[in-house]
Amino acid sequence: MGSCPSLPRKFMEFPTIFSITEDEIDLNNLLAKITLSSTGAAAIFTGMVRGMTSRGDAHETEYLEYEAYVPMAEEKMKQVAEEIRARWPTVEGIAIVQRVGKLFPKTPTVLIACTAAHRDTGVFEAARYGIDRLKEIVPIWKKEVGPGGEFWVEGDYIPKAGE
Amino acid sequence: MNHVKLLFFATLRDRAGAKSIELDVPAELTVQGLKDKISDEYPNLRDSMSSVIITINREYAFDEAVIPLNAELAMFPPVAGG
Repeated sequence: MGSCPSLPRKFMEFPTIFSITEDEIDLNNLLAKITLSSTGAAAIFTGMVRGMTSRGDAHETEYLEYEAYVPMAEEKMKQVAEEIRARWPTVEGIAIVQRVGKLFPKTPTVLIACTAAHRDTGVFEAARYGIDRLKEIVPIWKKEVGPGGEFWVEGDYIPKAGE
Repeated sequence: MNHVKLLFFATLRDRAGAKSIELDVPAELTVQGLKDKISDEYPNLRDSMSSVIITINREYAFDEAVIPLNAELAMFPPVAGG
């Protein structure tokens, strides 16, 4: 990596990982990459395929098939990480990973992890913000397949100008 | 004329029957103009145009936006990652 004098020193030191992958999400590997010598806390959110849904329209899920507009999705993940850093400057490392393809119940599909020096720095809220924003602006979709047939799951967020 | 690429995802791809198309559009065409053109030329997509999300060069775009030369456009429903 070359020198980049326009960026604050902090941003260069703090690791940010964002990716769309077809591979299994390796939590230990990701966590190691966003742990610095100054890190003492990590908040990790992961979502998985739910086989049995009881809330709302109760149903069973055989599998979910995920797809993404990959280059835009990775750009928007980077934007989510920048938004996290703007709101919680104490956050050190950030990892945002979405797995795509055909994924079966109990399989982790997404991971948002934020690290910080201490747990009372907003690191929980930062990870929560990350998953909420991913579901709003990162172009990923999933088709649900179950005993009742298949249908696309659609979100309800309409992005605003500048998002 | 302006030669653009239009990508479809999720429900839009199913209805279009294609992952992407290339098309020539008039210079200075707006996003609203593109929706009108797609409605006219692709009847399967007509019902989707009122709620579709459109991007220009991987950024969200709105009805008044003018489509730049050789743009990469995409159409899709509200996102549902996670």
